[in-house]
Amino acid sequence: MTGNVLIEELGPRGRRRVRVGTGLATVAAVLVLFWMYGRLDGNGQLEAVRWTDLFDSATLRFLGEGLIATIRAAVTAGVVATVVGFAFALMRLSKSRPVRTLAVGWVELFRALPLLLMIFGVFFIDTSIARGRGGDALLGTFWSVVVALVLYNSAVLSEIFRAGVRSLDSGQSEAAKAVGMTYWQMMFVVVLPQAVRRMVPAIVAQMATLTKDVSLGFVIGYEEFVRRGAGTANFGDTEVTNFQAYVSIGIVYFILVWAMAGLAKRLEQRQSRALKVAAADRDPDQDLDLGAGDTLGAGPA
Amino acid sequence: MSWSEFFDEYQDPLREATWVTVKLAFSSFGLALLVGVIVVSFRVSPIPPLVRVAGWFVAAFRNTPLLVVLFVALFGLGDLGLVFDFYPTAVVALGLYTGAYMAEVLRSGINAVPRGQAEAGRSIGLGFAQLMRFVVIPQAVRTVIGPIGNLFVANFKNTAVASTISVFELTAQSQRMFNDASAGVWRVLAVISALYLLFLLPAGAVFRRLEARFAIKR
Repeated sequence: MTGNVLIEELGPRGRRRVRVGTGLATVAAVLVLFWMYGRLDGNGQLEAVRWTDLFDSATLRFLGEGLIATIRAAVTAGVVATVVGFAFALMRLSKSRPVRTLAVGWVELFRALPLLLMIFGVFFIDTSIARGRGGDALLGTFWSVVVALVLYNSAVLSEIFRAGVRSLDSGQSEAAKAVGMTYWQMMFVVVLPQAVRRMVPAIVAQMATLTKDVSLGFVIGYEEFVRRGAGTANFGDTEVTNFQAYVSIGIVYFILVWAMAGLAKRLEQRQSRALKVAAADRDPDQDLDLGAGDTLGAGPA
Repeated sequence: MSWSEFFDEYQDPLREATWVTVKLAFSSFGLALLVGVIVVSFRVSPIPPLVRVAGWFVAAFRNTPLLVVLFVALFGLGDLGLVFDFYPTAVVALGLYTGAYMAEVLRSGINAVPRGQAEAGRSIGLGFAQLMRFVVIPQAVRTVIGPIGNLFVANFKNTAVASTISVFELTAQSQRMFNDASAGVWRVLAVISALYLLFLLPAGAVFRRLEARFAIKR
């Protein structure tokens, strides 16, 4: 039983309905699959050679380099965005109003713009400066993608860090002040270590989203996985067409992102168990809500 | 190029592109709501194959980049005999992609309704339809206004990806203008960003207010 609010123990009539529904749904699913198979096969999209050409060693190397380029951009952007996002979260929690305003402005601006536009923006500003100086582009495609990803994800991550700090019981910072810690001691010794640990699942989920978003580097010619996939189709004497190329790229991407999202979910479950135990030790009536959100998959943007 | 020359030259294309972005955002979001409702009704149903299919649908779209979804739709739908123009393809791809997230949001809304509410409804003799209409849906809808607002904003931003399949919306227009050196890259970026913010900032504010207005204090 799925165990949601709608489902109760079924009686004989309900069980019969479920059996009939199961039968009908299975038949419908099989029919849809057959129809799709028939259409694709009729168009020759399922011919073995169209797929086996993908496993040719030169093609595999070509695609593999793309996958590595995707991971390289994701790791670089992920690390830098975490550091920058952390800095902006600190700024946003600062006591000085101008510092706070600057951080709020940064976060609100870069969270609100399409990432694709930012990638174009960074790339074209870079090339226009290079043209003005008559030299080479300063950033190139790799760093243009990374810079745009950092602008966007540092804004998102700083909100995640801030949510972590706010989810802490105020007794933590009060206790730190009571034992005579300064503001920075309180932040770095008491508040942030706990806040960051709580937010690890949300950060991992954001990294899954970031990995998906590296694909947008396609538009400025960064040779990442999807672009290499496009390059595989209809190239030279290969039988691979766009359909096979993008479906295969999609499957590999799915496995990668699904694994990351699954890790985030596992971490979150473990953490909420640990927090519940800790809360029960302290106060049996206290119900802790992490506020890290559902991390079944990567985020929408 | 001065500002007035800039606007003389680009006023009409910008208006056109903004209109395409807005149309795309709203039509794909409408489709996403429909897809989300259908998928979530499968997912919370007691019929195992429907639950499984809905689970696969959600996982597939949430863990694949939108760009890949768009390309597979562009090349795959044609092979299925469903030939669409670029714009309808973008609506379908965005609608399915955001629809998968929508299904998750709606499911979390249903799960947030305390079990006792449904049990209380049944104990006073409400049938399934009445239970849904008077007890579960009114409470579920109130908890998901905020997350649906976030999805609207994310979907609006994601319309930019449609520029990769020749839909002439704002980001495609920005690309054209970036290639016109006399337009000035900073100016192009500022103008296009301002046009996005013109819609996205009010949308965020409206949903935040709705959320605060309808939030359930538990």
